[in-house]
Amino acid sequence: MTRHPMLKYLKEKGPAGPRMPTIMCPGCGAGQVLNYTLHAVDEIIHNDGTRKEDFVFISGVGCSARLTSHYLNFDSGWTIHGRSLPIATGALLANPSLKIVVFTGDGDAMAIGGNHFIHTCRRNLDVTILCINNGLYGMTGGQVAPTTPTGTATATTPYGNMEEAFDLCKMAETSGASYVARWTTAHPRQTIKSIKKGIGKKGTAFIEILSQCPIHMKTPPVEMLRDFKANTVSINKSRGHGEDKILIGEFCHMERPEWTEKYQKILEQFD
Amino acid sequence: MNRLSINPDYCKGCLICVDACPGKAIGASDRVNPKGYTLPAERDMQQCNGCKLCEIVCPDFAIAVEIEEEKS
Amino acid sequence: MAGPSEKNLLKPGVYYLQGNQACAEGAITAGCRVYAGYPITPASEIMEHAALRLPQVGGRFIQMEDEISSASVLLGASWAGAKAMTATSSPGFSLMQEVISFAIMTETPLVIVDVQRPGPGQGYITTSQEDVMQARWGHHGEGSIIALSPASVQEMFDFTIEAFNLAEQWRTPVLVMAEETVAHMREPLTIPPQDQIKVVNRKKPQDLGISPEEFLPYGHAMVPPMANWGEGYNVNHVSLVHHEDGNVTKYNRDIHLDSVSRIQQKIEGNTDHIARVETRFLEGCRHLVICYGSVSRTAVEAVMEARQERGIDLAFLRLVTLWPFPEKKLREIVRDVDTVFVPEMNLGMMKHPITEALRDRCNRIVPIPTLGALHSPEMILSKIYEELK
Repeated sequence: MTRHPMLKYLKEKGPAGPRMPTIMCPGCGAGQVLNYTLHAVDEIIHNDGTRKEDFVFISGVGCSARLTSHYLNFDSGWTIHGRSLPIATGALLANPSLKIVVFTGDGDAMAIGGNHFIHTCRRNLDVTILCINNGLYGMTGGQVAPTTPTGTATATTPYGNMEEAFDLCKMAETSGASYVARWTTAHPRQTIKSIKKGIGKKGTAFIEILSQCPIHMKTPPVEMLRDFKANTVSINKSRGHGEDKILIGEFCHMERPEWTEKYQKILEQFD
Repeated sequence: MNRLSINPDYCKGCLICVDACPGKAIGASDRVNPKGYTLPAERDMQQCNGCKLCEIVCPDFAIAVEIEEEKS
Repeated sequence: MAGPSEKNLLKPGVYYLQGNQACAEGAITAGCRVYAGYPITPASEIMEHAALRLPQVGGRFIQMEDEISSASVLLGASWAGAKAMTATSSPGFSLMQEVISFAIMTETPLVIVDVQRPGPGQGYITTSQEDVMQARWGHHGEGSIIALSPASVQEMFDFTIEAFNLAEQWRTPVLVMAEETVAHMREPLTIPPQDQIKVVNRKKPQDLGISPEEFLPYGHAMVPPMANWGEGYNVNHVSLVHHEDGNVTKYNRDIHLDSVSRIQQKIEGNTDHIARVETRFLEGCRHLVICYGSVSRTAVEAVMEARQERGIDLAFLRLVTLWPFPEKKLREIVRDVDTVFVPEMNLGMMKHPITEALRDRCNRIVPIPTLGALHSPEMILSKIYEELK
């Protein structure tokens, strides 16, 4: 039997027993994002000499966070709700050569962790943030999130969400991230390419991946993926058309000095 | 011909692989795993172009494509 | 992480420093190379000094957006191999409780300094001992911490080094429960030669010959060896109830009880090794003053004066370590006394574990509470005279 090529990066079992299959619900986009991420990491390890032990994966709390939990055969931390970015900051300050990838969700990144998200982008710390945006709180039972579309009924908006949704990419770009992109789980190859670029970028890379929660949205995963394709338009092709659609693509790709690089100049004064 | 390998312990029957396949090489089978999930299966492997999209989009690392060695 | 840059450490000698500066110097001497913080009176001078000094020794300083993120930085820094510290004052200490709980469960060595100020709320910006219970019981869930109580500028230096040593030795968060009094005090600080300063580093699986394949991130010993990120040990840090190998799927109550009990017992079960007390005139004494932190400075004066001026058979006992609480030690050295006075800059907090420890060893316990300022010796004396007349 041929094994999935990315299983080499996962801890399928250990002394205390099996760790897989994953905890994710059937058709959950989070598992797809893990698969895309490992494909990107695999290419980096094979092509540019980055060592496997240089990678660190950090997450907070929520469905997205379960990607690190205990599956990854990498250094990783499944940490505190909203605090994955300060924890990544600490790791980077201790060892700036680490390639830090943060898995976060829309609630983890932009509600409880919103302040840290803004300041991480502002400092342009060398972290790749992969935000799995399913538009609600999945782990806790489908409550409204800052990214839930207006009008949507959720567990805590039984009369429909009356608030406006956050545009995470605009927030990342405005706050100073060096690389900002949005894709969906229905765009595997683009997402993989984008994650590779993000990890290669010295500075904050923010990649939002719109993802399906088939359970709480009560919609089959395949149908949700088709909707992602139908309801998105590439930023390169939009040109004012299709404004009722969600823009996907690279919004920002620039060179800005990174935090630890700037700090290095201070350190060199005392060599 | 390429071959598919499906891990019935990991598969959760979402069938995203079936929808992603550009050639309709994969289909839903009538096999159900012990948890009750419908497993995908090879449907018409003549149509498999080896793109591995099924492998890439699988949320559960449950499907793998074995590419037939090219005969020299 | 680069090793300590020896040349920019403070040279051995006598300095005249503020307590907060001595604390930051102690951290640097102990090997602290990541500092994250958020300004708050009366703790800010620690971060200001860290900002100045850390790059001089090859470390990194960052001012974070709040106390929550400041404490969180320590987790990542510690896992990536650095010794890391933050300092705050009481309202900020409240915000750090979640990280303390998480650090207990993930067995992460880190140091948090709380320069206590009065509460509740914004309270005031003077001195206090009102967080001594929060230090032990503020975090959610079970598990124990270590808390030290410095009483001088010298101890702000010495105890910060000790805090790092204890954190590394026991894989646990360690709290330096300072007070504004000692933080803003200026007095001589003696820096001994570097080779006379004890610096402890965490035990690593590499030191014990444990390969990545054999490595259990929460196993092998009462205090598990700790691999740093970046060393190929594929460490998953998890705070959900976990097995020795970090597996979280196979929950069972026995594992839960065993793992959390171990985390508790590695501290509480080693109280005799960890906790220290200081005593004077204790042998066969009739009455006793028990105190800690800067209160011990005025309390010892009060004890001397009561003995000299009125001939009262009064002894002095200082809790150097607040937590784990040295109950056994206290019961060993205090056998049969009449009155125990407990002056504290709160309305009576450590009075409770003291009462529990001395339940059958004294006739009565008399708290001497105050808020917002250090007791004068006269204040302590007047209570003693009133009670013993």
